[in-house]
Amino acid sequence: MINLTIAWICVPLLFGFIVYLIPKLDKYLALLTTLISVIYSLQILLNNYNLKFQLLDNFGVTFRVDNISGYFILTNAIVTAAVIIYCWQKDKIAFFYGQIIFLHVSLNSAFITTDFLSLYVALEVIGMVAFLLIAYPRTDQSLWVALRYLFISSIVMLFYLGGAILVYKANNSFDFEGLKNSPPEAFVLIFLGLLVKGGIFFSGLWLPMTYAESDTPISALLSGIVTKASILPLIRCAEINDDIDLVIRILGVATAILGVCYAVLEKDIKRMFAFSSISQLGFILASPAVGGFYTLTHGLAKCALFLTIGYLPTRNLTELKNNGINTSVWIPLTLASISVIGFPFFSSFEAKVLTLNNLLPWQIIPMNIVAIGTAIYFFQLILLPHKSNQDRNISFNLFLAVTLLIFFLLSTNIIYYQAYILSNIFKALLITLIGFLLYNFILKKVVIKMSRILEEFDHLVGFMALMCLFLYAILFFIPNNWF
Amino acid sequence: MVLETFILLTIICGFFGIILKHNLLMKTISMDIMSTGIITFFVLVASRNGLFTPILTEKTVNYADPVPQAVILTAIVIGFSTQALMLVAIMKLAKNNPTLETKEIEKNNS
Repeated sequence: MINLTIAWICVPLLFGFIVYLIPKLDKYLALLTTLISVIYSLQILLNNYNLKFQLLDNFGVTFRVDNISGYFILTNAIVTAAVIIYCWQKDKIAFFYGQIIFLHVSLNSAFITTDFLSLYVALEVIGMVAFLLIAYPRTDQSLWVALRYLFISSIVMLFYLGGAILVYKANNSFDFEGLKNSPPEAFVLIFLGLLVKGGIFFSGLWLPMTYAESDTPISALLSGIVTKASILPLIRCAEINDDIDLVIRILGVATAILGVCYAVLEKDIKRMFAFSSISQLGFILASPAVGGFYTLTHGLAKCALFLTIGYLPTRNLTELKNNGINTSVWIPLTLASISVIGFPFFSSFEAKVLTLNNLLPWQIIPMNIVAIGTAIYFFQLILLPHKSNQDRNISFNLFLAVTLLIFFLLSTNIIYYQAYILSNIFKALLITLIGFLLYNFILKKVVIKMSRILEEFDHLVGFMALMCLFLYAILFFIPNNWF
Repeated sequence: MVLETFILLTIICGFFGIILKHNLLMKTISMDIMSTGIITFFVLVASRNGLFTPILTEKTVNYADPVPQAVILTAIVIGFSTQALMLVAIMKLAKNNPTLETKEIEKNNS
């Protein structure tokens, strides 16, 4: 299995280079890469592998493959496949597919490493490839959005490096495990890096503009899987000891609340999805131990949503409410929306039940409120007026991509079928109903415009310093080994 | 301790440069200063037990830790390639935004 893992990382990288030599093979090789990853991850998930190994001698690269990374790899594979299918008939050049392959492989390697330095390399590669993909249209706007993303991620990775060397100084190794013996500065700096890259809490405010202004397939990729590259390391850190676990849970709840507040008030549909991504990341971190399954369901649903809204005539929700949309777009939009809400029949329901069952007592009330909030803003989409006689027809590729995503959303129901008991189903329906009522009678009439001043570049950089203080404050106020 | 203070000052200088400078190119240079600070910190940590090159000789000497040095080499290469990418993007942006002021670019492109 170790050799297989190494081959699974190396062969697709080779494919990535072959694409540049034989551009005609681009789409096929890209699709083949994702297929390999699907098979590999199913292998892990079905056999419950728990593999730990180290390449080379001491100080070598350490890997760990288990159930959680299996979920992340599967998400990566399906999301990438859906995006490739979506782009099949758009004339993207081989460069695009080559980058998609590199992104896919570097994400995979980020999901299986367990030392801070390999993770640094993987995250930097992801940042660069994402930059190239965002800047692909080469308009001024896309260049600026991409540059902003790269700038923020490389600044924050410098902080992260500082933290990594502090971990090394204390332990003589870069292993995740060393975090518990390191000084609090190491913890703060490393977490700052991962939080900003992952788009958690206030440091995640770079995310809405990046998602909103990128091309449709790229925002689907970014939201479906790219930001999750730094979520898995956070989950792994949570396993180290209870102190870190508690910090991550606090951050998770705070992120979920922040994202939902913004999303409910947002009137631009793409930005709304971006804020919804932030709040769902909070859900993943709210109970880190079972975050893998939640990531899978959220990644698939969000990818379907982003791909579908590429076919809407406008991004303005108020306009959409007045003019209505085509039924063939409305159907996938609604299916994906009710999936994110956690409606029974979709595996998101199981993931949500699993997450809510693993919460600490103080988390239960805020997370349920967030779940209701999620229902509120998705009802805006579900209740959009729709008619089928408009000439704007849905393309076959979008249909295929969304079908693939929905198929996996339905078929992964077997993972935790124990969730289907009467009380859980009743609770999910109740949350949906409350969300519907709140939307229909209160929020439909409310119009509050949120200021975007916090999303300016300088403020984003400034927030890094504030996040440092915030992390110190958390460490100071909760009981732990550091202070 | 003195060296550590200077390194910290370098990093802070770079970080505040990124926030306070308006020009995009200046921001990039500030980021480079910040990364210089981090790289020096790695070198400092590497030399905490000794300064000699880790080559096996007959008499035992206190040699510098090779791991952080090897590791920072990777980080330097990554940092330099990131900066190359950023400079290309800035060159492209400079065509329509000759002053390269972040506020202006932000206003035009969002």
